[in-house]
Amino acid sequence: MINLDHNATTPLDPRVRTAMVDHLARSDHFGNASSVHRSGREARRILESARRKVAAAVGAEALGVTFTAGGSEADTLAIVGVCTALRAAGRPCGVLTSRLEHAAVTASARRLECAGHRVVFVEADRAGRIEFAAVVCALERYGDIGLVSLASANHELGNAYDIQDLVGRVRATRHEVWVHTDAVQAFGKVELNFAGWDVDLMSLSAHKIGGPSGVGALIHRREVDLTPQVCGGGQERGRRPGTENLLGIHGFGVAAELAGTQWHARRAHMDLLRDRLRVGLADRFPDQVVFVGDPEAHVGNTVCAMFPGCSGEMLMINLDLSGIAVSTGSACTVGRVEPSSTMLAMGYDETAARAVLRFSVGVGNCVEDIDRLLEALPGIVRRVREAGSEGRPA
Amino acid sequence: MSGGVDSSVAASVLVEEGHEVVGMTMSLYDAPPRSPKARGGTCCSPAEVDQAKQVCEQLGIAHYTLDERDRFRTQVIDDFARAYAVGRTPNPCARCNEHVKFGPLLVRAQALGAQLLVTGHYARVQAGRLRRGADASKDQSYFLFAMGRDALSRVRFPLGAWHKQDVRKRARELGLPNADAPDSQELCFVSGGDYARAVEDHLGRLGEGLSRLDAGDVRDEAGRVIGKHRGIHRVTVGQRRGLGISAAEPQYVLRVLPAERAVVVGPASSLRRETLGIEGFRKLADLPTGATFEALVQFRHRSPPVPASVTVYGEAAHVVFNAPVHGVAAGQAAVIYDGDCVLGGGWIASEVDRSHATHGQRRPKDEGEDEDEGEAGPGAS
Repeated sequence: MINLDHNATTPLDPRVRTAMVDHLARSDHFGNASSVHRSGREARRILESARRKVAAAVGAEALGVTFTAGGSEADTLAIVGVCTALRAAGRPCGVLTSRLEHAAVTASARRLECAGHRVVFVEADRAGRIEFAAVVCALERYGDIGLVSLASANHELGNAYDIQDLVGRVRATRHEVWVHTDAVQAFGKVELNFAGWDVDLMSLSAHKIGGPSGVGALIHRREVDLTPQVCGGGQERGRRPGTENLLGIHGFGVAAELAGTQWHARRAHMDLLRDRLRVGLADRFPDQVVFVGDPEAHVGNTVCAMFPGCSGEMLMINLDLSGIAVSTGSACTVGRVEPSSTMLAMGYDETAARAVLRFSVGVGNCVEDIDRLLEALPGIVRRVREAGSEGRPA
Repeated sequence: MSGGVDSSVAASVLVEEGHEVVGMTMSLYDAPPRSPKARGGTCCSPAEVDQAKQVCEQLGIAHYTLDERDRFRTQVIDDFARAYAVGRTPNPCARCNEHVKFGPLLVRAQALGAQLLVTGHYARVQAGRLRRGADASKDQSYFLFAMGRDALSRVRFPLGAWHKQDVRKRARELGLPNADAPDSQELCFVSGGDYARAVEDHLGRLGEGLSRLDAGDVRDEAGRVIGKHRGIHRVTVGQRRGLGISAAEPQYVLRVLPAERAVVVGPASSLRRETLGIEGFRKLADLPTGATFEALVQFRHRSPPVPASVTVYGEAAHVVFNAPVHGVAAGQAAVIYDGDCVLGGGWIASEVDRSHATHGQRRPKDEGEDEDEGEAGPGAS
């Protein structure tokens, strides 16, 4: 199987696997990090070591790392947790975000909206670019916004967003507004600099960088007040109750260290493959493929391509049966292909939104993977197009 | 693959024959959370999709779930609600076969380079003709006329030669999780069999006036008001019970008059019909146009076909029964058979208002006592 769907998840990095297997093999690694006795102290040591590694990988301090059960939980904690606390403190507690965000962000915003918080969405253009001036306008117009949340990179398009620039403009407009960025898709592909960007909250996930799934982190300034979204004990300084997923966090620490130190080399490798894929698609499908996304600012691993007149779903199934894994967009539903909400939010109609394939390369891919895809695709595109418009009866 | 035992065994037959098989399930509607539908029991519910996935995993074949919710809503559910609102009795299963199942799946089969579309229906395709399934109690050929003649060369129904008990036995032998799951008996998208509620909900969603569903008069054949009904969507032609009227002899719904929001009732003898018109007729065999021929006509699911003279005019057909029949309901399918071969079929047209024509032609009460409430209602295929 050729995996060109790394934005969905990445295979476990061999070094991460080794670290996790070693951890499991140790008979004394069963402790609860909250226990006072020796095995508890050992668990605590492993936990805090991973915390330092994650913090270092993104230019943050270890005290501001709260481990969660993944990126979605980190987003929920950042948005619902922050705005709920802001409201309790009697401060502006509305959210400003975009319609291109991951479902964890938009659904968190919707939950707040139902609870009476102001929620404002800034629009994106047809390349998925977001005008930060529009963010400034919205902040000036709505004085009750307390949090701005925009991703560092879009999961479907691969667009990169200049969060440092965003933070500067937000601070210049309303200095008391917190800024959150979902950096799940940017991690390991660009340099993340929490302190340097001056951002207040940042979501991370382990399984997009060669770590295990089911573990992530919310990076935050210490002064940001968070209402926990899980009820329980005082773990993670009360921000995320529940006994820590020590094995997963240990793996996350190793993966984060690799992502933080090696992102540059990874990026060069992925850039090369992405360019080969884009050029190859443009060569093989002159006038039949439309690239979607920002050609200038991107994270270098994602190609979002529309094949007008084709059903992306049928292209994807054909490729799967040929041993090549790609995606039609966000795969976060129950395994059924819905039109990409990102495409719809960018102003494309449903037919266009259903004609899209997302290719996302990873560190494990090689040139031959791209070439095999480019060999398989023309016959499949022809067959799907001939079968009927958008995979529907003509 | 609906997730039920039939399509699962059909898939296993193809796998055993050595074909390259790909499983597909259509996601047709969102079951409200915590409703019985979310837990399964009817075809294509979310739980059944999981079942189909599990079966495919067991059979070692790929499985994909296709999002057909929009198409199902516009082609099947909306039609269902609108039909009731104009006094017709819809047949959503045949509509689904026509608009959702066969057309789109054949396109997908072609897009995958697959030679055949295989389903678990109890029907046979032999020598280019659609025939009844071997298990008469399970035969689904009545619901399949609408798939169209072009589809016949590209579909296969491996269970056409099987009896249901053998299908279950095979499923148990294979260890399939759904071997003993009960057959679906109700419409997949209607919760708890409450059709009236479903009609109201969906018409409301369509933004159509619900005043058409208000209570109205129950009249006898002479036009006298003899009672009140609670909405024409709660009434189907042939229904006896639940009308809230008392009369010397049992009264049946003869006609629904949507424009007047009225229901006309009469004795069983007035339900008799000697003819019916078919619209949206589709041929599944070579049939002469304009010439009359003898054939069998089935106009309800689970009622035996009856001999008649049939004349086909393009997309319409006219049927003259050899002997009067009961239980003809506009909107249901009328399917023409030659023996057990389906020649074609279509939808029973609304009859012109015969209230004057039939007045005074009352026949003595003699038969039709077995007519029961909801007999003409849409049963699940």
